[in-house]
Amino acid sequence: MKFYLKKPLLAVMLALALCMSGRLWAQDAGNVSGTVVDSVGNATLPGVSVVIKGTSKGVTTDVDGKFQIQAAAGDVLTFSFIGYKKVEVPVGNQSVIRVVMRQDNTVLDELVVVGYGTVKKSSVTASVAKVENTVLDQIPVGRPESVLAGRLAGVNVTQNNTSPGSAPLIRIRGASSIDAGNDPLVVIDGFPGGSLGSVSTNDIESIEVLKDASAAAIYGSRGAGGVIIVTTKKGKSGKARFNFNAYAGVANAKGHKDWITGQEYYDYAVRYQNREYKWIGGDTSIPVWNDSRRPNAYQVSDVLKNGNNVIWEDAVMQSAAIQNYNLSVGGGNDHVRYYVSGTLKDEKGTLKNTWYKNYGLRANVDVTVNSVVSLGFMLNPSYSKRRFASADINNYVKFPSFVAVQNPDGTYPSARSYWGAVVSGQANPMATLDGSYYYGTTVNNLGEAFINLNLAKGLSFRSSLSTNLASNTTDRFQASWATSTSLNSGSQALSSTTSIANENVLSYTNTFKGVHNVSAIAGASYQKYNSSSSSLAAVNGSFNNDIIHTLNNAIINPSASSSSRSQWGLISYFSRVNYGFKDKYLLSASIRTDGSSRFGPDNKWGYFPSASVAWRISQEDFMKNVRPVSELKLRASYGATGNFNIGDFEYLGQIGDVYYSPNNTLTKGQTQTSYGNNSLSWEKTKSYDFGLELGLFRNRVNLVLDYYDKRTSGLLYNVSIPSITGFPSSLSNVGSVSNKGFEVELTTKNLVGEFKWETSFNMARNVNKVEDLGGVQERITTDTYGMGWILRLGQPMFSYYGYKIVGVLQNAEDVKNSPVLAGSVPGNPKFQDVNGDGQITSADKVILGNFQPKAYFGLINNFAYKAFDLSIAMQASVGAKMYNFENEYYQGALLGAMRRSLVDTQWWSEAEPGNGMVPASSLSKLTYQSSSDAYIEDASFLAVRNINLGYTVPSNVSQKLHLSGLRVYASLANPFMFTKKGFHGYNPEGYTGGEIAGTGSKPGYNNGAAPINRVYTLGLNFNF
Amino acid sequence: MKITNPIKTGLMLIALGLTSCEDKLLNLTPESVLTPTNFYKTANDINQAVLGVYNSLQTRRQTDYLLMEVPADNLYMSANTTIAGSNDVDFLTVNADNALTAAFWNTTYNGIFRANAVLLNIDTPTNYGVGLKDQYIGEAKFMRALFYFDLVRVFGGVPKVVDKISITEAAALPKSTEEEIYALIVEDLTDAIAKLPARKSIATGRASKGAAMGLLGKVYVYRQDWANAKTQLEKLVDEQDYKLVSDFASLWKLESEDNDEILFTVKYVDGTNGQNLSTSYTPNGGLVGIADRGAETSLPSWSLMKKYEPGDKRKAATVQEWWTSPAQPNAEPIYYPYVSKYAVKHSYGASGIDIPVLRYADILLLYSEALFKSGDKTNALVQLNKVRERAFGNATHNYKGTEAADFTDLILNERQLELAYEHERWFDLVRTGKYLTVMAQEERLYNYAAKTPVVVNLTPKEFMKVYPIPQAQIDLSNGLKQNNGY
Repeated sequence: MKFYLKKPLLAVMLALALCMSGRLWAQDAGNVSGTVVDSVGNATLPGVSVVIKGTSKGVTTDVDGKFQIQAAAGDVLTFSFIGYKKVEVPVGNQSVIRVVMRQDNTVLDELVVVGYGTVKKSSVTASVAKVENTVLDQIPVGRPESVLAGRLAGVNVTQNNTSPGSAPLIRIRGASSIDAGNDPLVVIDGFPGGSLGSVSTNDIESIEVLKDASAAAIYGSRGAGGVIIVTTKKGKSGKARFNFNAYAGVANAKGHKDWITGQEYYDYAVRYQNREYKWIGGDTSIPVWNDSRRPNAYQVSDVLKNGNNVIWEDAVMQSAAIQNYNLSVGGGNDHVRYYVSGTLKDEKGTLKNTWYKNYGLRANVDVTVNSVVSLGFMLNPSYSKRRFASADINNYVKFPSFVAVQNPDGTYPSARSYWGAVVSGQANPMATLDGSYYYGTTVNNLGEAFINLNLAKGLSFRSSLSTNLASNTTDRFQASWATSTSLNSGSQALSSTTSIANENVLSYTNTFKGVHNVSAIAGASYQKYNSSSSSLAAVNGSFNNDIIHTLNNAIINPSASSSSRSQWGLISYFSRVNYGFKDKYLLSASIRTDGSSRFGPDNKWGYFPSASVAWRISQEDFMKNVRPVSELKLRASYGATGNFNIGDFEYLGQIGDVYYSPNNTLTKGQTQTSYGNNSLSWEKTKSYDFGLELGLFRNRVNLVLDYYDKRTSGLLYNVSIPSITGFPSSLSNVGSVSNKGFEVELTTKNLVGEFKWETSFNMARNVNKVEDLGGVQERITTDTYGMGWILRLGQPMFSYYGYKIVGVLQNAEDVKNSPVLAGSVPGNPKFQDVNGDGQITSADKVILGNFQPKAYFGLINNFAYKAFDLSIAMQASVGAKMYNFENEYYQGALLGAMRRSLVDTQWWSEAEPGNGMVPASSLSKLTYQSSSDAYIEDASFLAVRNINLGYTVPSNVSQKLHLSGLRVYASLANPFMFTKKGFHGYNPEGYTGGEIAGTGSKPGYNNGAAPINRVYTLGLNFNF
Repeated sequence: MKITNPIKTGLMLIALGLTSCEDKLLNLTPESVLTPTNFYKTANDINQAVLGVYNSLQTRRQTDYLLMEVPADNLYMSANTTIAGSNDVDFLTVNADNALTAAFWNTTYNGIFRANAVLLNIDTPTNYGVGLKDQYIGEAKFMRALFYFDLVRVFGGVPKVVDKISITEAAALPKSTEEEIYALIVEDLTDAIAKLPARKSIATGRASKGAAMGLLGKVYVYRQDWANAKTQLEKLVDEQDYKLVSDFASLWKLESEDNDEILFTVKYVDGTNGQNLSTSYTPNGGLVGIADRGAETSLPSWSLMKKYEPGDKRKAATVQEWWTSPAQPNAEPIYYPYVSKYAVKHSYGASGIDIPVLRYADILLLYSEALFKSGDKTNALVQLNKVRERAFGNATHNYKGTEAADFTDLILNERQLELAYEHERWFDLVRTGKYLTVMAQEERLYNYAAKTPVVVNLTPKEFMKVYPIPQAQIDLSNGLKQNNGY
């Protein structure tokens, strides 16, 4: 500074000289051209980056592997290409250079983010999976999680809800908690507790998943569900590099093919009504219509065959346009580097009137002040808005086919306006869709500022302050004509959360005597979370008109309105030591302790240790001659993680609002709403992991095997207590659940020549088991229609529990002679009499399967030939069972829409017994089948999730367009889905009852999960 | 030196965090909810807690029909809706896993917990207005007695809880006998009568002296303690200012739901604090002028409908036979019977019409029964005919007392017609033992054209006089034993 101030003239001249130097130097440079080829097979390599060392000047090789660059004799050219070793070639006096690049079989030197630091992949001692974002952002999916589906062993990404903007469900090595959640912890650029929905896939550099507890233990308190670490892109020194990625396409729902209409529909309706009538002793020879001898409830109007032939699924669905744009620029110099990006996403839903829009910005800036101090910040504001349907799709598609979608005058007829009795009393589905204005908006900003001090060689200190600010609004209005009750309704819910974290980490890394690698961290983290929410609802029917949708047009319902604030705090201290001897014997140990405000005064602190070891056998002298083996590593780990995802202050008995209306005046009262448990503490998961990593033939074949055994105990479990205490349950640290399983990851480079083919396969099997329930053998949640979900020792959590069907009761004689449920009639199921006592009672209920898959598989095939690349991603799941309660709607009930596959196998009468296994489905006898395996279906599937075909435009062409890279691609999402015969749902992963979320959970319950969308997109990606 | 400074700074930062943050982050207190340690401190807190007790009954009362009307001959479950466990109640095949009895057990004991909490904390506040402490004690005791009366009628002997108990204590607690439970009820009601104000000195929907007197009389009838029943009910009839309203139908109208006949009712307000019962009884297609949609969970039995004599004004206010769809208001009405007692214009699932617990007609019929059992048939007939006369608007249908071999059959019949869908029928059949014969057959849907009802044969058994104790509660307890027969 001083220098420049004193001698301004000199400074200006220097600056000028600096500016000029590039040009001057360029004049000296000559034309250097050449070809880059692969060391194996001499195939030319397109897309190789050729940069003059120490500058940002560079080109990429064209489709034939050729390049041309202006370089001076003193320059050194750096050739780099993903998967290949970097090559540096001094230009000297050469004008044509042939460069041979070797595949980098030591991808092992790749760095893996492990939480508060990075580790060389070869030195990792735990089970960590990594996905790099090469073309993930060119796969058209709504959220970053979705691209992970099928890519990582043991990471099960399930798209339960396919409506735009919905988050998929992620389970890492099975679910283990009943009441405290099983979602993994998401760490975005170091901030724990972020949401993947706020990150644009384009901005992601890599995603690491910490699967075993020894890895996740560094996030101790919150790592029980595994940890997903997202690292976003940072700017690199060099000239500004722009990237533009865009795709647009159309989504079509994959619906059912077997809806029936017209005469066929009418005939089944008649069968249905006759069967009902016969059950109450009626004479079915009486005409079904216009004969007063037949009670109205058992008639069938002629309108069913003479009306319209509407397939409601077609009427409410549409081809939906989707589009996504991202523009980013990254660059900088030795002092300041930046990455700035903007994303715009606009997706229409395949269900009419649903859509999702997202606008996001990101700025990552790094500043190197001097050799000691560097600092930086990240900002990621985003805004999204969605319009969603007021009900699940079954409510729309189940509507009877004789009703017109709309009247010529624009009004919407109901089924009852054709026939006053029997048929569904609900409003016209299109009226409900058009008249329900349901919007959700989210404004979110994840920001972080940090300072890093290089204190000494190998010793650094990083301190950061991050904030995650989110505010959500849900606005609802439903017009009076959109609902069967003819009462308009509306509500508004607002919530805002601020999460502030301060993290301080001291890191040390050094190598002693060339063989002892030591690295260590010690840190402290403080986090505070504040939330506030308010919710207002109108008295139903109180909107003055259907024009103004805000609540000022209505009367607020005090008993449906609320406002609250809450908070939690977390303090953590942690330390980890990694030690490696000659890169051969590796050891890592960590300890973390967390204090949480959510637990009782004496139980706030939890301790989470971990240790892991690895032995790289391939580094031993005796393995040096075993040529085919390029890498062989054994590892073992143990770790403890915790879970505190319960409500704030649950250890206290809480007083809540209740209402009563003495003198017809709504009055607020108060009462204790929870039992309270002062000794509430951490739920802990202890797990072992044993792994083997094998690389063969210079790592052309890579195999990773893992076996794990994880046990969660002290479950934060709403354990049943005698209700004479006043409460049926109390949150306690009771019970234990285990997950054991193994994972296989096999990556092979099948062809490496000009035609390249890589395959990566993974499979995972997880066995979930309830180990302890605090002294009781089982706990059953039975839903309204009789299906049970059981927690039973030795069985997977929340298995279906009910009767097993062995046939159908054919006639009165059969009913008399079979063990039956009380009140059974011909057509009802014949159940397995488990205890053989001649009658069917609740003692005859058995476990009927479980929603969790027994195993799941992923297979990605990547092909490349010259400028073309093709990627096919497949996913499979085996053994999951789904309770497709939704089927009930399409079997004739209320004479609604019917599906052929659900009516033609049914028992209609002794003369029309169907296939002998499907009982008569009737609303009046619904519990006879809904409490059995009648609706339990095998949800195994094999899906081709994505086919992505890309073409990289030759560099000579793209350069003419002043681009340094241009790829165009076509993508097809969900082209094929194969399910088991007898599966009737839209989506084998789609269930509407949620997953495990407390003791009353009904995982696997499907009552209207939306169809899977087949999405056709075209996209382009270019750099300049 | 240059290097150590930042280390020092870093360590200082951490040390700073250690000391100052811990308290701010870990020792937080709830901002939006009270806890048992800072509640129950003022008279207003106690008033709020008493309202909480009523809230418990207000919640449960909407589904009481499933255990109290469905098993009897007034009502059967519709084919259009399924409520877990209701089919078993309807066909008298209830087992210990029944979801309805489990829910009833939970909510009733939750109500008892709330009443106990009021009584256990009543001495903490010191700022009660005149008479209010007594009133709150009386209300809590009345409500506790009512909860136990419901429990003992539904389950027989149950655990007696009058204190805050720990989970361990709860698991060890055995059932008390019916006698012990009734002794507690009588004790609570006696104290409530002494402490509660007269009905006009307290808001409607809250317990008054007359409510406690009436309930105690009713309890004596259930105990078949005819002498005490007669004394208690006589006192009520003589001293308190209740009377039958002249128009039966006006009892079921929003504008006249508070009237001189009500001893105790559960209050509801349309939309904001409404009940589900009106919706449950409304046909799926709705009712013209009342609601465009209903849930039609259950339908009236012909067994009841056929008993109304021509001219009985109660019929139209209890059941309707002809129905018009609001979607086609000009179409011919069709034969489609439904329960109309709670059919007032209402918001779906949130109707404002109150659900009475005790009204004067009930008291008169109980009084009549007590008189007859005490040997005063003449006066018994007078009381019975008061109800009869109001129903027909004249004395021409009055009983002479000779219409049935057993006079109590006349009373029971009148109770069914008068109090249908007011949660009395099943208990009346059980306490008189008539359920064993009456419930052997139930006539349900009537075929208007064929003039024949659907007849359902049932097998009522002695042990069904009480429901089974919920199995889940037995599993959690060392002391709880299942009722005989289950």
